Amino acid sequence: MDELIVVLVMFLKLAVVVAVLLLLPLPLTWLERKIAAHIQQRPGPMRVGWHGLLQPFADGIKLLSKEDHIPDDADRFLFTLAPMITLVATFAVFVAIPFGEPITIYGTEITLYLTDMNVALMYVLAIAGLDVFGVIIGGWASNSKYAVLGALRTCAQLISYEIPMGFAVVGVVMLAQSMSLVAIVEAQSGLWNIVYQPIGFVVFFIAGLAEAQRIPFDLPEAEGDLGAGYHTEYSGMRFSFFMISEYLVVVLLAALNVVLFFGGWNPLFLPLPPLLWFVLKVSFFVWLFMWFRFTFPRYRYDQLMSIGWKVLLPLSLANILITGMILA
Amino acid sequence: MATANKQISRWIGWVFFADIFKGLSLTLSYMFSKTITEHYPDKEKWIPYERYRGHHFLNTDENGEVKCVGCELCAKICPCNCMEVVPYEDENGYRRPLVFNIDMARCLYCGLCEDACPADAIKLGQHYEFSAENSSTLVVGRDALIAAPRKAEHGGKVVKARLNRSGSVPISEETDGEDRDWWRNIRRS
Repeated sequence: MDELIVVLVMFLKLAVVVAVLLLLPLPLTWLERKIAAHIQQRPGPMRVGWHGLLQPFADGIKLLSKEDHIPDDADRFLFTLAPMITLVATFAVFVAIPFGEPITIYGTEITLYLTDMNVALMYVLAIAGLDVFGVIIGGWASNSKYAVLGALRTCAQLISYEIPMGFAVVGVVMLAQSMSLVAIVEAQSGLWNIVYQPIGFVVFFIAGLAEAQRIPFDLPEAEGDLGAGYHTEYSGMRFSFFMISEYLVVVLLAALNVVLFFGGWNPLFLPLPPLLWFVLKVSFFVWLFMWFRFTFPRYRYDQLMSIGWKVLLPLSLANILITGMILA
Repeated sequence: MATANKQISRWIGWVFFADIFKGLSLTLSYMFSKTITEHYPDKEKWIPYERYRGHHFLNTDENGEVKCVGCELCAKICPCNCMEVVPYEDENGYRRPLVFNIDMARCLYCGLCEDACPADAIKLGQHYEFSAENSSTLVVGRDALIAAPRKAEHGGKVVKARLNRSGSVPISEETDGEDRDWWRNIRRS
């Protein structure tokens, strides 16, 4: 009986997480358009529902009813595979993200994470890197010059930000003496890591912007010079797979920033429920990402490389050294 | 020394992302400022200037008699042949238009008919919401032209309006003539 409850709870949590993740891009697209609009002194979508709240549903219906077009010269197998790789990889990362302290319902303790791996951070970075393969394969399989250029830029960008990103979290791991995200959050119950690791946070945040392929580092899909980048040839549901995963990566990066540097679900002043604190912090970071997007222009290609190799990498290495010296 | 200090402060600014925070604070102030958008069909409506060339109308004199003398000069000068004028002699012996049709779908609103008219009869007025569901309803006859809105007397302003969906095509109706400063939320520094 107990085993049954454990399995049942597991499946329930899985269903909830998948449902939330699938529905999350809907409000996020609305939010992004609203924030963009208000920064540009426009009201944004206003006509579908109250203040355009139903606009994402209208967009979704439109995307569903679009022609599913595959270009003649495209590699059909890889072309259909690419959006799935991106989406699956993004969903798989959330397996390791903890959302809050365990809660008890009817005497059953329910942990608010799907798994607590002892190498969770490693897993997150590795699987989050996988969704770039979808982008690269998609750009390659489209057989279009813009898509290939976008995919090539993704490759180059990947190398220059993944390394500083990996090094930036080493400091956090050193402080928590664990790679488990739950242990990292519990280690921050006193002072948050942002106090101990300001350089690590800055490096991680900037590398995260590049990982999420958002402005100022949205070179793979630079509308101005590449059409739409790697998803130029995609339409309908396949396109929306890329969009969903793009928004989920934003949420993922926000969640990682919170878990690694901003104390996870540890409260600041108000004794709100831990889950609520986590959601509030993550939404703040999502908002910050969108705010960044509509404030800054796109970096040039070579500028991104020089930021990644000449600034972020030395900074993250220095961060490890300093942390090690202080801890020793 | 002064330049060295300047250099040092610039370096400190770079290290602490001073320019990035400056940009962010600017966009933040815009994010929480009022929008400048005119809520056109729902809440607000633009009353065009007097010079605006919209829906045609036929002028009448003080007795309500149409001023048109049916000379057909407007139909002659019209570059897209969208006017049809058939004159007749009324009971007082004046030459008046029996038929005065303008095809709004073909008209290019150049205003040449207004210039050519010797009797000051045909004008292009302020009305601009006359979309229709088929092009045959866009052929407007004499009586409709006489009844059409005149030129805006105090144009060039935004007034309160509401969307009226009762007709075959929705139009935005002026509720009261209250003016609204359309510069109110636009930053002029």
